[in-house]
Amino acid sequence: MDIPKKVWDSLVEQQLEEGRAILDRVDYNTELGLAMAKGAQQVMKGVITSDQFYEKFKQAVEEEFGVTFQPVKESPKNPKSRAFGGKKWAMVIDLAKCVGCDTCTVSCKAENRTPPGVTYNVVIEDTVGTFPNVKNINLPRPCMQCDKPPCVQVCPVRASYKLENGIVAIDADRCIGCRYCQVACPYGSRYFDFGLSYEQEMTGYDAVQASEYGVAHGRRTPTKEPVGTVRKCTFCMHRLERGEEPACVETCIGDARYFGDLNDPNSIVSKLAASPRAFRLREELGTEPRVIYLK
Amino acid sequence: MHQIPVSYQRHSSQKHSSARQTNLKKIEKIWWASLLLVFILGMVSLVKGYLLEGMTSTNLSNVVPWGEWVAFYIYFIGMSAGSFLLSTLVYGFGMHQYERIGRSALLSAIVCMITAITFIFLDIGRPDHIFNSIIYWNVTSTMAWEIHFYILYIALLVVELYFSMRVDLVRLANSPTRFAKFYGFLTFGYRNISDEALQRDRKLLQILGIIGIPLAIFGVHGGTGSIFAVAKARPFLNTGLFPVIFILSALVSGTALSIAIYVAKNKVLKRPSDVTMVRSLGSLLVMFLSIELALEWYEFLIGWYGVKPEELATISTMAGSSWAWTFWLFQMGLAMFVPLILLFLPKTRKSITWIFVASILTIIGVVGVRFNMVVPMLIVPVMNGLPGGNYYPTVSEWITSFGLIAMCFLLYTIGEKLLPIDQYEVVRGEANDD
Repeated sequence: MDIPKKVWDSLVEQQLEEGRAILDRVDYNTELGLAMAKGAQQVMKGVITSDQFYEKFKQAVEEEFGVTFQPVKESPKNPKSRAFGGKKWAMVIDLAKCVGCDTCTVSCKAENRTPPGVTYNVVIEDTVGTFPNVKNINLPRPCMQCDKPPCVQVCPVRASYKLENGIVAIDADRCIGCRYCQVACPYGSRYFDFGLSYEQEMTGYDAVQASEYGVAHGRRTPTKEPVGTVRKCTFCMHRLERGEEPACVETCIGDARYFGDLNDPNSIVSKLAASPRAFRLREELGTEPRVIYLK
Repeated sequence: MHQIPVSYQRHSSQKHSSARQTNLKKIEKIWWASLLLVFILGMVSLVKGYLLEGMTSTNLSNVVPWGEWVAFYIYFIGMSAGSFLLSTLVYGFGMHQYERIGRSALLSAIVCMITAITFIFLDIGRPDHIFNSIIYWNVTSTMAWEIHFYILYIALLVVELYFSMRVDLVRLANSPTRFAKFYGFLTFGYRNISDEALQRDRKLLQILGIIGIPLAIFGVHGGTGSIFAVAKARPFLNTGLFPVIFILSALVSGTALSIAIYVAKNKVLKRPSDVTMVRSLGSLLVMFLSIELALEWYEFLIGWYGVKPEELATISTMAGSSWAWTFWLFQMGLAMFVPLILLFLPKTRKSITWIFVASILTIIGVVGVRFNMVVPMLIVPVMNGLPGGNYYPTVSEWITSFGLIAMCFLLYTIGEKLLPIDQYEVVRGEANDD
């Protein structure tokens, strides 16, 4: 049986309170509120423009609320900043929570199906201090997705570039495999794909490759990209685009990793980035990494 | 000043002419056969290793992504830039006392450039994408600028060599040699060799030489040095002096190469060499070596004084690890102090044989200089805690490299054989415009 759409709508409407009843509860003019709501609906339908809307209610709002009624100024940003929904991704890694279990490394390899020798994420382990005041420290190291990336600067063919969402991308179909970016990267985050394979240990490894940056490269063969090109952490961009966190963030056993939009001042990464514990690796080089560590 | 012992040469050649001819033929046969053998071996290893196994046939890794082929690439670039700059003394500045090595320096500059580009072409992971480097130009990339400068530079070298040989090409085209047609083609239809036309040629050579100087210094070799020097991730490279040292070591190897070619050729052909010129080139070499030594002193002093951990680690890898022999034996020994001493001692600096020995040792030693510009800084991990590197070329890399070096010799020999490169008979007046 086909239930008409208005049946569903009426179910919702039953739950809704009458607009007039809500407005009656406040001290301000109920009629004005209803008229403005109607006006806003008209703007949304395109019956009137928003300028007309502001003009229409300017005087009434001033009389009622004593404030000037004017449109909120939109920042004159270039349209590019709206690409990827205006998001600018960043990662925060809380070193106090990291136990050095390497889950991030393993889940990254599984997610991105990286070949032997290519490891987008590593955990650097070290022991610091003198006995008895010694401490084991761990430093998970993905790509820093620098805002001033030396690797992008040196790429002779513009195969590596900075996306508007903050991620440093590589176009494997353009990369000539000169490995200059590897020499230029101060974090050792770039890896050359020598064409090795896990096929011996893992049946079907070559059957499919991860579609990094949304580009499917299909079956892994020794002559086809990305073999012979340079590869790096993509912040799991293919996952971001379907609303998921990067694999390392999702699998971290101690929730040491946070991921989010640094353009949004209310996001958890923005708040953590403002923490006095926050620091970035090799800041003296001026690379402005988008991976922020908490001491 | 320019006593060419023509009479001596003519006499001796008449006396032992036939015996010398057969002897020469034998030497030439051995020369061709051995070069071809090494070249073919190199190509076999190239196909077996590079083409069939890919980059896994090398000992390169993600810690040391650049190795032997990059070292040889900058080695030959340096040799080319140095030879070319030497040739500009003749064509750009009219220093005709070096006239006899002019064309040979240009030819070796072209041949070394071809070899250098072959080396770096092998080193890239996706040779099938190579044209991207011309289509897409990243203006902030020193390497992108280099690729374009190399093309311009080779074009300039070829044009300059053509105009420097043109008078002889026309003469050969009009002579009854077997290849007259070939030389006729090489003149590209421009056969006017009136004094006026030759004057124009000289003017053009001068202009090309002068344009070529900044192109070779800043574009080709200083630029290649900048490829390395701009890498701020590698403090050992990241100094303003690095490209300058690059240029100096280019001048050193280029001068040494020109001396070596000139003297070796004369020795084989049993002709006496122009003593004044060789001595003068020897003093040029010693000057370049001294400047290079001074610059290297400051480079190491300041790097060491700064006590940056990566910098100190690079210097100790270079001078105190299991690779130290490349530094002490090749870079400091063969390419620096041995030739310096040989060219300073009054007894050896006047002897053509000793200047020749010093040049050969320098040419061999600079290989070590180039390796030490590439490998030690990569062996030191970029961040404390990342794995350190280890690199020693595989047999496949070595054989391929030797094959390409043989290719360089072959190309030069073919050039000498086919083209009027040899200017033994040239007298000062002939090419002089004053």
